[in-house]
Amino acid sequence: MASSDKPTDKPTVKQQRDARRQEKVAELKRQQARAKRNRTIGIVTASVAGAAVVALVVTFVVTSGQPRQDPQAIEVDGVKTYSDLTANHVGGTVDYAMTPPAGGDHNQVWLNCGVYTEPVPNENAVHDLEHGAVWFTYDPEQVSESEIEALRDFAPDTYAVVSPYEGLDSPMYVSAWGAQLPFSNVADDEATVSDFVTKYWKSTNAPEPGAPCTGGVDGTGKIA
Amino acid sequence: MTAAGRDDGDVTDEATPTRASSGRRLRLVVAGVLTVAIVLLVGVALGRLSSPNPVTPGTDSVEAGFSRDMQVHHEQAVQMAMMVRDRTDDPDVRSLAYDLALTQSQQAGQMYAWLELWRVPQAPSEPTMTWMTRPTLDGDYGSHHMTGDGGAGGSATPVATHEPGGRMPGLATDEQLASLDAARGVEAERIFLTLMIAHHEGGIEMADAILARSEVPQVRAFASGMVQTQQSEVEAMQAMLAERG
Repeated sequence: MASSDKPTDKPTVKQQRDARRQEKVAELKRQQARAKRNRTIGIVTASVAGAAVVALVVTFVVTSGQPRQDPQAIEVDGVKTYSDLTANHVGGTVDYAMTPPAGGDHNQVWLNCGVYTEPVPNENAVHDLEHGAVWFTYDPEQVSESEIEALRDFAPDTYAVVSPYEGLDSPMYVSAWGAQLPFSNVADDEATVSDFVTKYWKSTNAPEPGAPCTGGVDGTGKIA
Repeated sequence: MTAAGRDDGDVTDEATPTRASSGRRLRLVVAGVLTVAIVLLVGVALGRLSSPNPVTPGTDSVEAGFSRDMQVHHEQAVQMAMMVRDRTDDPDVRSLAYDLALTQSQQAGQMYAWLELWRVPQAPSEPTMTWMTRPTLDGDYGSHHMTGDGGAGGSATPVATHEPGGRMPGLATDEQLASLDAARGVEAERIFLTLMIAHHEGGIEMADAILARSEVPQVRAFASGMVQTQQSEVEAMQAMLAERG
C-alpha cells in the first residue's frame, strides 16, 4: 500500500537489475560459504579417520609381536636344489648324483654328527642329511688350516658334520637334504652360508628332521 | 562483458547443483567406506587384543630361543639315556632311561613343531642362551636366578649370570659323555645318574627362566610340567645314586 502511495519509488529497470545481481552475488556467497564449511567438515573428518586408521595399524604391528623370519621365504644365493631324491636303506656304496652327496639312498646306520679330520663314508653321512643335519665339506688341497678352523667354529654344535672331501670343484660345500651350496670360505661367504644354515638346518625339507644325529657310527678322526 | 558474465552466471546456476550433489555422493561413499573399514579394524583389534594368545613369537623371541636351546638340551638327555641302556642290565636304570628318552624325545618334537607353526627357522637367530639374558616379565634381568631360586629348584650352580653364547646349564661335556661311553654296569649307572641329575637341574633352571619371561600359554604349560616332573625325577635319581654308593 505504501508503495502504491509512492509510485515514484518504483525501482527503475537499472535498479531492478542491480537488485537481481546483488541477490545472485549473495546467493553465490552463501553457496561458497556452504562449500567451504563442507570442505572443512570433510577435511576434519578425513583427518580424524586417517589418524584412527594409522593408530590401529600401529596397534596391529605392535601386538603382532616380533618380526617373523619364515625359513621357506629365504632365498639362498647360488644354492643348487635337488628334488625327487630316493631315501632307501642300502648296503655297499651308492653312486650319488652330485659331489658331495646332497641326499639319496644311504646306509641304515647314520654317522655321528661332529667334526672329522678324515673323510667320512658318504652313505652314513647322507643318512644324517635325512635327519636334518647339514654337512660341511672342504677340499684339503684348496683351503688353508685357518680356513678349516673358521669353518669348524662356524658349524652348528649339533646336527652338523664337518669333514674333508677330496676332489671338490669348489674349496668348500655345505649340503643338506636336497640342497647344496659351493663357497670359498666362511670369512668371504658368511652371509650366504648363514642363509643356507638358517633355511636348511633341521628343516622340514629333510624327510626326518630331528631324528638322531648321535648314537650311530663314528667315522675315523672325530675330534668334536 | 555483461552478456558473457550473465552466460557464466547461467552456466554456474545449472552446473553447481550437479557438481555439488555428485560431490556430496562421493563424500557419502568415502565416509561409508571409512566407517566400515574402521568398524572392521576396531572389531578385529578388539578380538585380537582380548584373545588368550595374541602374540605369535618371532624369531628373536624368548619363546623361540627356549624352544631351540631346550631341543638341544633334550637331545643330549635322549643320547645319554640311550647310552646307559646299552651299558647296564639293571632294570630300574633301564626303565628310567627308557621313560626319559621317549619323554624328552616327544617334548623335543613339540618344541620343533612350535617353531614350525610360528614360521621361524629351527636354526638359532642369535647365540645360545641369549634369551636367558632378556628381561623377565617383571622387568628384572635374570635376578630371578640370583635370588636363591636354587633352593627350590635344587640347583647347585651359584653362578647365575648367563651370557649369550654361553654353555647351557647342566649340559654334559664331551669328556663326560666319553666317560659314560667307556663305562659299563654300575659304573655306567653312577655316571649316568650323576650327569642326568645335573642335566635335569639345568633343564629346570631354563624352564624357570622361560616361565619368568613368557606369557604364551602353551610354552608356560610345557615349562611348568617340565619343572614338576624333572624335579621329582631328580629326587628319584638322587635316591638311586645313593643306593649305588
